[in-house]
Amino acid sequence: MSDHTPAMEFHPQPQPGTPTPWAFPAPERFTLANGLTVLRCHRPGQQLVAVDMVLDAPLAAEPEGLDGVASILARALSEGTDTLSAEEFAGELERAGATLDTHADHPAIRVSLEVPASRLERGLTLLGDALRAPALPADEIERLVANRLDEIVHEQANPARRAAKALYAELFPAADRLSRPRAGSTDTVKRIDRDAVEAFYDAHLRPSTATAVVVGDLTGVDLPALLESTLGRWSAEAREPAAHGPVAGDDTGRVVIVDRPGSVQTQLLIGRIGPDRHDPAWAAQVLGTYCLGGTLTSRLDRVLREEKGYTYGVRAFAQALRSAADGSGRGLLAISGSVDTGSTAPALQDTWAILRKLAAEGLTDAEREEAVQFLVGVAPLKFETAGSVAATLADQVEQYLPDTYQADFYRRLAELDTEAATRAVVAAFPPDRLVTVLVGDASVIAEPVKALGIGDVTVVAN
Amino acid sequence: MANPAPASGLAITEHRLANGLRVVLSEDHLTPVAAVCLWYDVGSRHEVKGRTGLAHLFEHLMFQGSANVSNNGHFELVQGAGGSLNGTTSFERTNYFETMPAHQLELALWLEADRMGSLLAALDETSMENQRDVVKNERRQRYDNVPYGTAFERLTALSFPDGHPYHHTPIGSMADLDAATLEDARTFFRTYYAPNNAVLSIVGDLDPEQTVAWVEKYFGSIPAHDGKQPPRDGALPETIGREVREVVREDVPSRALMAAYRLPHDGTREADAADLALTVLGSGESSRLYNRLVRRDRTAVAAGFGLLRLAGAPSLGWMDVKAGGDATLEQIEAAVDEELARFAAEGPTAAELERAQAQIEREWLDRLTTVAGRADELCRYAVLFGDPKLVNSALPKVLDVTAEEVRAVAAARLRPDNRAVLVYEPTTEDSADGAANDENEEAAA
Repeated sequence: MSDHTPAMEFHPQPQPGTPTPWAFPAPERFTLANGLTVLRCHRPGQQLVAVDMVLDAPLAAEPEGLDGVASILARALSEGTDTLSAEEFAGELERAGATLDTHADHPAIRVSLEVPASRLERGLTLLGDALRAPALPADEIERLVANRLDEIVHEQANPARRAAKALYAELFPAADRLSRPRAGSTDTVKRIDRDAVEAFYDAHLRPSTATAVVVGDLTGVDLPALLESTLGRWSAEAREPAAHGPVAGDDTGRVVIVDRPGSVQTQLLIGRIGPDRHDPAWAAQVLGTYCLGGTLTSRLDRVLREEKGYTYGVRAFAQALRSAADGSGRGLLAISGSVDTGSTAPALQDTWAILRKLAAEGLTDAEREEAVQFLVGVAPLKFETAGSVAATLADQVEQYLPDTYQADFYRRLAELDTEAATRAVVAAFPPDRLVTVLVGDASVIAEPVKALGIGDVTVVAN
Repeated sequence: MANPAPASGLAITEHRLANGLRVVLSEDHLTPVAAVCLWYDVGSRHEVKGRTGLAHLFEHLMFQGSANVSNNGHFELVQGAGGSLNGTTSFERTNYFETMPAHQLELALWLEADRMGSLLAALDETSMENQRDVVKNERRQRYDNVPYGTAFERLTALSFPDGHPYHHTPIGSMADLDAATLEDARTFFRTYYAPNNAVLSIVGDLDPEQTVAWVEKYFGSIPAHDGKQPPRDGALPETIGREVREVVREDVPSRALMAAYRLPHDGTREADAADLALTVLGSGESSRLYNRLVRRDRTAVAAGFGLLRLAGAPSLGWMDVKAGGDATLEQIEAAVDEELARFAAEGPTAAELERAQAQIEREWLDRLTTVAGRADELCRYAVLFGDPKLVNSALPKVLDVTAEEVRAVAAARLRPDNRAVLVYEPTTEDSADGAANDENEEAAA
């Protein structure tokens, strides 16, 4: 008897019980007197209520040469109101046990409040005041500008951020706002002052083009009345919603190395543009992309991590960039991860071999089955919290999707066959139409990468 | 308090199998999901010299198969059942967790039992070599290849003396990761992975009788064993007694001032008072350090305090200030010292204490909002403090702390002679090649 023979009694692998039906929650819609659209979703037991605001102020609306003004405005929204200084506003939020996060991205400015249900009114009052009457104090804006200038230096030093910046600059035409950093670059941020921030606020923030998504345990809450007395006090002249131009990208196969001398790893970001969530093939693409690189048992990590040990993990994913009601929007498709410097070319070679094999032989039924089981089965866990439900509903709003999108998505996913998933992922990741960004030590990795023949190689300074 | 506290604690039941496995259940039928969490009472503090990182490397090996589960089968089966899973290693414990659709709960229990009882039937040299490389890449990605990435490791080493069980962090050194052998891993398993050295918590949409029967069925026959030695003594003086300081010249984007203060052990009323002190001083945009350094002096772009709660050694209060523009660290340090001294003399205002308590309450609600968060907290109280039901008194205890207690702990602990200081000075373009310090070269080797 070997030393490692276990002494325990074994039993056969158990079979699952009867699943409890679950569906992504359907929100109710109503409109406040000031024109603000509201999506309400009651989630019993969720004592932290999430309020996600979608404000129709896309980055493409920033004035020429003022990239970053939307981000500075978003940050300045929590720097005081007509009745509270910046310090007092922060203090009041914390006294309510609330957090307020703001973020400007290509489709919209998002403002997210999380607050215990017991203090919802206080939280909504502060949020409403921040939108209705932000002080936008000149000295705080000057500080936010200075902080953003420092932040750019930190982003430049972070391999993952640096790779994203380089990929967007490569993929999109210089004239498209998508090609440039979301929160602006040094030259543009320097020019931002209170006047510019206020002008952007006046031009783009108004209740008639905004949506509030409210999710949580709303037992006993008269939400329409509560919202009228808080967010309903915000008023501004109605205007037409923003229009979103079509997205184009150059996915000619090529390699850009951002030189980072002495790097012990190379950050990989391999991407192109593809369908957004309006495309009928989106669900099949999610399924196929998961099989390619969704987890450590997907095709990429099975080789790169679990066989070769080149990486802590590589992921393939798709995300919406900028969508439009007419379906002309596009998403980003990418493979991302980091490998030790010496394994850079071997890891890329394996990645391309995996993609070619996928195109030649397709996915297996077993892979499809496991992926569907995971993606559909994990939904109740993924959407356990109010915050995750609110964020998904708000994404649907900013991407011009119907409120039933996520629920329908799970139904569609469950019906897909293996062939559809293969078709979508092969179309998404054609080996000769991928832009590869490598942030790493060019003196070590450039020559071996050139020898791979995956496209012209350019080296740029960090 | 002006604001009402949230109602009702968790309903908790406890069981103990004959082999010593402690089992904690908490029912909640709101969502059809169930979380399984297993804490083994072993962490990096149990590692010996020359084998740092072994507990964490071993955690990776727990996903490489066991007698009835193939290599990576644990991931395939859980995800294929619609569940999510992972494991983490800290100074004081190693945890493994699965969150499952409720009808798949039994599968997670079967999987955890199989590896608890039979890991060594599958563990081989191939897995060991592969996961060694994966963990080394984890170390590069999270620590060695990012600016300030080794700060946590450096400050920990400065705060606890050489040879102390908490002197090194769970990721371990590259040299020790290289040195670990398959036999080390086997011995580690035989020593620490026993039912009587673990707590299993299960939270969510479950039938308690059925669940206990499954636990008995799958875990009940795993033999107990008592090979475990207690961790090396972590007793230390309450304060460091002098300021310890390290200056790092590295290619980082800006100057930084970081510090670690020795604070009271987790589980004490004084630790809760310290938590409140650090929250007032350095958590969020109404905190004293943020107001002073970021808003008023404008010498910093970020400034904050955090608490690393430790039960087997003094906890650590972490300060992290990233300088802005051309500000010098001397200016920043003088301002920090002034704020800490003022706080030690005056304590928090009533409004500050109320805000800090509200913030901690919200963070606590956030942790307990998911079944997985609750399962982890139940294990934490069971393993570190002997009683999972303490979870229900944790928040009331924080809300009970007085302003004077907060002041007192700040006066006693947040002092220059009780801190390790880590200073980052960016290298200039010309000296970037030659100035990397020794630790960094070793780590990158």
